[in-house]
Amino acid sequence: MTASTLSKPVNNTNPPRRKNLSGRTRKSSREGYKVNWWLTALMLVASLTVLLPLYFTVAMALKSPDQIGGTGLAWPNPMNWENFAAAYVATNFPRAFMSTAFVTVFSVLGSLACSSLVAYAIARNWNRKFFRGSFVYLLSAMFIPFPVIILPLIKQTALLGLDNPAGVVFLHVLGGISFNTLLYIAFVRSIPVELEESARMDGATTWQVFRKIIFPLLAPMNATVGIFAFLGSWNDFLLPQMMIADPALQTLPVVQMLFQGEFNTNYSLAFASYLMAMAPTLVVYILAQRWVLSGVMRGAVK
Amino acid sequence: MNADALGRTAPLSRRALLKAAGLAGAAAMLPLTGCGATPSTQNGVTTLRFMQNKPEVVAYFNQVIKDFEALNPDIRVIQDFNEGNFVPGLVRNDPPDVVTRGFAQATADFVRKGVFADLSDMPVAASIDPKIQDLVSSWGQYNGNETSALPFSLAAAGVIYNRDIFAAQGVQVPTTWDEFMAACETFKAAGITPIYGTFKDNWTLGQGMFDYVAGGMLDVGDFFSKLTARGANITQGAPESFTSNFGPALPKMLQLAAFSQNGAASKNYADGNAAFAKGQAAMYLQGPWALSQLVAANKNVRLGSFPLPVTNNPADTKARVNVDMALSITRNTPNMAAAQRFVSYLLEPSVVNTYNEKNAAFSPLKDAPAVENPQITGLSASVTEGRYYQGATTYFPPSVPLYNYVQSFVYGKNGQQFLAALDDEWRRVAERTAV
Repeated sequence: MTASTLSKPVNNTNPPRRKNLSGRTRKSSREGYKVNWWLTALMLVASLTVLLPLYFTVAMALKSPDQIGGTGLAWPNPMNWENFAAAYVATNFPRAFMSTAFVTVFSVLGSLACSSLVAYAIARNWNRKFFRGSFVYLLSAMFIPFPVIILPLIKQTALLGLDNPAGVVFLHVLGGISFNTLLYIAFVRSIPVELEESARMDGATTWQVFRKIIFPLLAPMNATVGIFAFLGSWNDFLLPQMMIADPALQTLPVVQMLFQGEFNTNYSLAFASYLMAMAPTLVVYILAQRWVLSGVMRGAVK
Repeated sequence: MNADALGRTAPLSRRALLKAAGLAGAAAMLPLTGCGATPSTQNGVTTLRFMQNKPEVVAYFNQVIKDFEALNPDIRVIQDFNEGNFVPGLVRNDPPDVVTRGFAQATADFVRKGVFADLSDMPVAASIDPKIQDLVSSWGQYNGNETSALPFSLAAAGVIYNRDIFAAQGVQVPTTWDEFMAACETFKAAGITPIYGTFKDNWTLGQGMFDYVAGGMLDVGDFFSKLTARGANITQGAPESFTSNFGPALPKMLQLAAFSQNGAASKNYADGNAAFAKGQAAMYLQGPWALSQLVAANKNVRLGSFPLPVTNNPADTKARVNVDMALSITRNTPNMAAAQRFVSYLLEPSVVNTYNEKNAAFSPLKDAPAVENPQITGLSASVTEGRYYQGATTYFPPSVPLYNYVQSFVYGKNGQQFLAALDDEWRRVAERTAV
């Protein structure tokens, strides 16, 4: 996904430039519009890093077991559409999908709400020691590798009755707070305080200022955080695998392990189910492409 | 100015914040009511959780569970193939009630820590072949005498061969090393790859030629028990060391490797399955787990297996076995009676024998019928006569990158360096784990 975000802008920005320049004089269009074939070729090659695995995924998903093997490049003939039905039944797809969707939706909403509130509080109280300290405290969480704390976390969540998708949501939201707050704080600082002051003149409370002024202005950063949270929790394997005690509530990435035995991997069913699990991410990406790009840029400079 | 403004409205903000937090908390609590820890007995129906280690046989066990529930309406069984949740289950103090695991070093650790209940006084325990039960107890017993697991499936591995190619070349199944070498030469002369190598997946070298040659030449179990007894003061020169024992086996590995196709180093297990199923080689050093993959790739392929003869005395020929699935009950389960009933059901001949017949494995029962699956009949004599060993690779703790060492030996052909590295690794593990 990240590689495609890198290769896309080049493909996209070329046509509009041509349009703009065609209206100008011939001379300037010649100077301004020059195809950089080397760079284009490089980008075409680079785009293979995304397109080729995607092609493999689609081709694999449509193969019957005896068509697998060789280089894997061959397109299956005949195509085996039953793989999707078989994978759908084997993984109990709707149930796993709902569980994953629950985790993802609440992780995204929780991340947006919690991190932006925290960031707003810290950024606007920067002159107070407590808030500066809490910022450092939150940031320090980024330096703790997750696998180190997973077993204590499992113990703790079990004691709290959170050994289920709700617990996964909690941990996704909490785990994201340090990084998301970092992103948000940089952004909140760039919002002029005068906007808030004028709102206060009109009698807005702090909550209203946040809700009506700050949060809408955070939209680009909300997109970034939302996308990170979405991808992170939709694709998360380790946390649900270890935390969700009831197999009936397990999420898609874990359920898909069904196709991978120690020595036997059912590639065609596995890829069919990967493709089905990937679909929402792809749809979200296609719809939100504009924000993904601007969002990635947004996070790049702090 | 800003701080002042914030200061004035701070109480309101905090209240709003708390309200938001409360709402978020309530939202998170909602699903809890649906899926919180349920008592395992509800309306007289006990719910058992059954953690099963082989995702590819989920469908078979779903059917078994259905049959079991029909006979035992007071028990409901939930199957879970997510083995990664076993340790978290222990951490939560809420492990699954019945567990199946492959038996090797990692499972033995759980046994030695007393995770599993003693099953020795269950009536079904008496129906298990004691030789196969010994394979389980050879890994150590809790309190020195407990039966922590009852074997459910025994996988025997040897050389998988293509019956059609053997017949076409007029080659008989070899019973001695010389016959085996002669067979390889025959295939080579006929332009057929004698052994399909998948060296890229280094585990195939480990469980294949390394285990077969080591197991055929020396008493692996005895070697490792002496090695373990020696502890951390192992040196290369010691009579218990790898260097002193594995030396004669290594040249045979290289001989086997030399009969592989060109480019074996770039082929992995999946490539090997596809190629071997299409008849691109006469033999394949793989266990029964590959059979279903081979048949999936080509349903017309006619396969057989034989144990690799490593010496010239046919009576020495042994098969590599592993307890692929063993049944255990976790020690602290609140549903002991129900769990024992389920385990007893799983070990009824109709269930356990059918499973093993379907999955090209051997039943652990004393009076198991002879295997009829032509793919593995060649191994049945070794199994029934008890001529088998557990692979040398299974004795290594996971912290030793054994497969990488085996692979670099096959590529670099430096046996001395290989064995010295194993001695060194073993010593370091022994030092770390010494009490």
